[in-house]
Amino acid sequence: MNPLCKPNEHALSRRQWLGGMGGAAAAGALGGLVSPAVGEVLKQKEKQVLFIWLDGGMSQLESWDPKPNTQFGGPFRSIPTKLPGIHVSELMPRMAKKMDKICLVRAMRTQDNSHSAGVPRIQRGDPKNRGVIYPYFGSAVAQLMGPTASGLPPYVWVKPGSGGFKPTDAGFLGPKYGALAFGDGQPPPNFLRPATLSPEQDTARNELRRAFNFNYAQPRRKANNEANTYVFDTAEILLKRREIFDTSKYPQKEKDRYGNHLLGQHMLIGRKLLEAGCRFVKVNSYGWDTHGDHFNGTVSLVNRFDQAFAAVLEDLEATGQLDHTLVIAMSEFGRTPRINGHAGRDHWPEAWTIALAGCGINAGAVIGATNAQGTFVKGDEYDIGHMFHTWFRALGINPDAVEFDNGGQPLPIAHDEMGVIPGVLA
Amino acid sequence: MKPGAGVSVERPMRPIIFICALLPVLAGWAAESLSQRIDKLIAAKAGRQPLAEPASDSEFLRRVYLDFTGQIPTADGARKFLANPSADKRAKLIDQLFADARWAETMADRFHVLLMERRGEEEEWRKWLVASFKANKPWDAMAREMLAPEGTDAAKAGAWFFITKRLEKYGQNPTDHPGLTRDVGRMFMGVDLQCAQCHRHLTVKDYKQRDFQGLYAAYSNLRLQNPNDTIKVKWAMESLLKKEMEFGSVFSETKKTTGPRVPFGVPITIPEFKKGEEWAVKPDKKKGVSGRLKFSPLREIATRMATPENPYFARNIANRAWFLMMGRGLIEPLDLTHTKNPPSHPELLDLLAKELVAHKFDLKWLFRELARTQTYQRSSVLPKGGAPEHLFAFAKERPIAAEPLLRSVLLATGERDRVTKLDEEDAHSLKSFGDLFQGAFANAPREPELAVTPTLKAALFLRNNEALLWLVQRREGNLVDRLIKLKEPAKIANEAFLTLLARNPSDAERAMVKSFLQKQPTLQNAVGDLVWALLSSTEFFVNH
Repeated sequence: MNPLCKPNEHALSRRQWLGGMGGAAAAGALGGLVSPAVGEVLKQKEKQVLFIWLDGGMSQLESWDPKPNTQFGGPFRSIPTKLPGIHVSELMPRMAKKMDKICLVRAMRTQDNSHSAGVPRIQRGDPKNRGVIYPYFGSAVAQLMGPTASGLPPYVWVKPGSGGFKPTDAGFLGPKYGALAFGDGQPPPNFLRPATLSPEQDTARNELRRAFNFNYAQPRRKANNEANTYVFDTAEILLKRREIFDTSKYPQKEKDRYGNHLLGQHMLIGRKLLEAGCRFVKVNSYGWDTHGDHFNGTVSLVNRFDQAFAAVLEDLEATGQLDHTLVIAMSEFGRTPRINGHAGRDHWPEAWTIALAGCGINAGAVIGATNAQGTFVKGDEYDIGHMFHTWFRALGINPDAVEFDNGGQPLPIAHDEMGVIPGVLA
Repeated sequence: MKPGAGVSVERPMRPIIFICALLPVLAGWAAESLSQRIDKLIAAKAGRQPLAEPASDSEFLRRVYLDFTGQIPTADGARKFLANPSADKRAKLIDQLFADARWAETMADRFHVLLMERRGEEEEWRKWLVASFKANKPWDAMAREMLAPEGTDAAKAGAWFFITKRLEKYGQNPTDHPGLTRDVGRMFMGVDLQCAQCHRHLTVKDYKQRDFQGLYAAYSNLRLQNPNDTIKVKWAMESLLKKEMEFGSVFSETKKTTGPRVPFGVPITIPEFKKGEEWAVKPDKKKGVSGRLKFSPLREIATRMATPENPYFARNIANRAWFLMMGRGLIEPLDLTHTKNPPSHPELLDLLAKELVAHKFDLKWLFRELARTQTYQRSSVLPKGGAPEHLFAFAKERPIAAEPLLRSVLLATGERDRVTKLDEEDAHSLKSFGDLFQGAFANAPREPELAVTPTLKAALFLRNNEALLWLVQRREGNLVDRLIKLKEPAKIANEAFLTLLARNPSDAERAMVKSFLQKQPTLQNAVGDLVWALLSSTEFFVNH
């Protein structure tokens, strides 16, 4: 049987919200600032998020939490880092030198060990079941904080494979808070103005369109026209920033530094999108699900991540942007300490690591620990709900005061029985 | 005036007219049409809330054309209707459109989107929908044909699509029998039992696990089959059901069982047959014989669900018909009917359901009655001080689906005939435009289309897509060509507004157009820009 009722996939209230969206839509579409309760968020408008998603499950043992010379430790050594007493895998030489810039939480213990449940559940913060589909973190931030002053779409997603508009991330918030995906780093269809249309003509006809819309909307409910105005304006802003996607104009030296591989190049586009002012940028890497030949696969995977992650941190720091950008690097779970018959590691939500940096984060802290063999968390363990609390706080949003408004139903933005992870926030 | 003066009454009054005139007196209650009773109930609930003005002729005209012909009216049609002084022109137009062949096609389009939620297209399914609406097949009969399809009857085979499309695998998911079960509940009874699959519903007390599992007992029993000699479409083989469905809540250890059952009804007893005697017609795959069970849970469910005895059935379709006409259900969401989620107008929903049963589920009659209401014929311009949506005090703006939007765009730009003649492969063929419009304006599969939802992808399409922009370039006989030949800005404005918006421009709008046309370097481009601006406007994009 294929259970319909995944606790995180109750579709009812989402459609309820969609059904009533005519009324509530435009408030959201216009800047995404729906609830008066988030007024405080306004003042900190330029906070941004870089969310690096290593899909399939990065091995904590070959990255942030190595256990060399133990039963499950695997063949790689660990190396010392900038932080005295803290070691990482030898596959991360660049990040080892930057450990003072980031914060590790080595005591993650989450609930799902399958991709199909884990990927959405983790990115939705696994809140208590309220019969609705919760938004992914990116959609949540898009709704709570809206676009930055740049006017660029608030939630963009650089990923291999298909691009376009990915409404499902938004859950009950409704499709407009979904992700705008740059598949293979490419902009969406119809992104560019065709050569037959001059910029002057484009501007003139859009002015006329706006004037017509103004007349129409005056005596009517404003919602639909405001939502329509917003999407047309966003299209225009994207067009103005089209140079971001022209990777041929990027200096070769820069490309080399991020790495001539998908993750490196996509991280570079991600950085440009952050610089341009996108509120939330998700950079996606696939292929981390190393059930077989794990150790050979991991060498290249972790090396590429190490290179791209170190490069983007360096650049964000150099421009001062790191001060107001929350950086998160994670998967849906870690990998089993036990090595399977195919020299692989399987799914392990019991004890894994998330790396954080940037705005509000206690740089140089290593929070929590696993036991000597890396099988389980030793001491306090944290679920993804704790992490959501921590991230929202880092962005200046108080999860105890700010709520989602699901068509009149107030819903907590993070698991209401959890709180901030001690020591992570600066 | 004396009798006969100025009026020629040459024939004596015929008895039939006499009786008709007397009827209201003889039976006062019967004189009131359903549409009048609807308006009374809406007004009563609104109380002191001011109601919006009646829709202008233009608003009304555009609305009924979109609703019943699947496209906007032509400029000529609009001109004639606006100039017609007769008082009953609206009622006459409604009658005319309900007699139009496009009525069945449009209903087919709308029910396709409603029932299939963008899962895909199928020719036989569409033929079945169109034929059903053309014959004005009662809704209960339509429902039974979808719920328990008779594949061997070619005229009904198209109805298989409701089930078979949902049995197709998508992505890496297993065959979604629970999803099919869920949609049977949603579409035919207005109840979404999804969350009652594994346990009692956590927030809706009325929805019990047995309600889901009873339906699931019938619909999990189907296996998708390819077309064969006797059934020309994909169909599903129903396996023999020998014992009751066993289920248990994930919250407890207790196991329960249920026979097939309509939600909230009694379980159907599974009869016992001697081995080998279960089939009225034995299936034979080699000969393409699909077989017929003596006891078919599907048929049992269909006959018990789609009947006046099941109050959910009539209320669901009444609510959905109301939604299609008014943009909002009396119960919202459409598929969350339960005691703690009452209708906004309980008496009204009861009335609609009761009358629909009395009229033997005649949807054409119901839609016509709804079209005749003042409620449907109100303006989308808000009454003074505004109004909450659930009172139906003004016409809610509704989405125009991708297909009627395309038809309207091609009709208005005067490119329909050209585009229709082009080879399918051509970038400007009807097929190419169909794909483009679906891509830009339709929702993703399994996403219902319920409200006006402007999206970035649609905006990018309207702004930058080359095929779309091709429509507003001057070409022999198209709208831009026609407008340019009019030369005078005021005439251009009038014709453009009538063609695209079915109304005359206001003086301010005429002035706006004039100043715009004069500012642009060439009239050729400027007229194209004008047409584009109207085509991309909110007013064009919504059914208001």
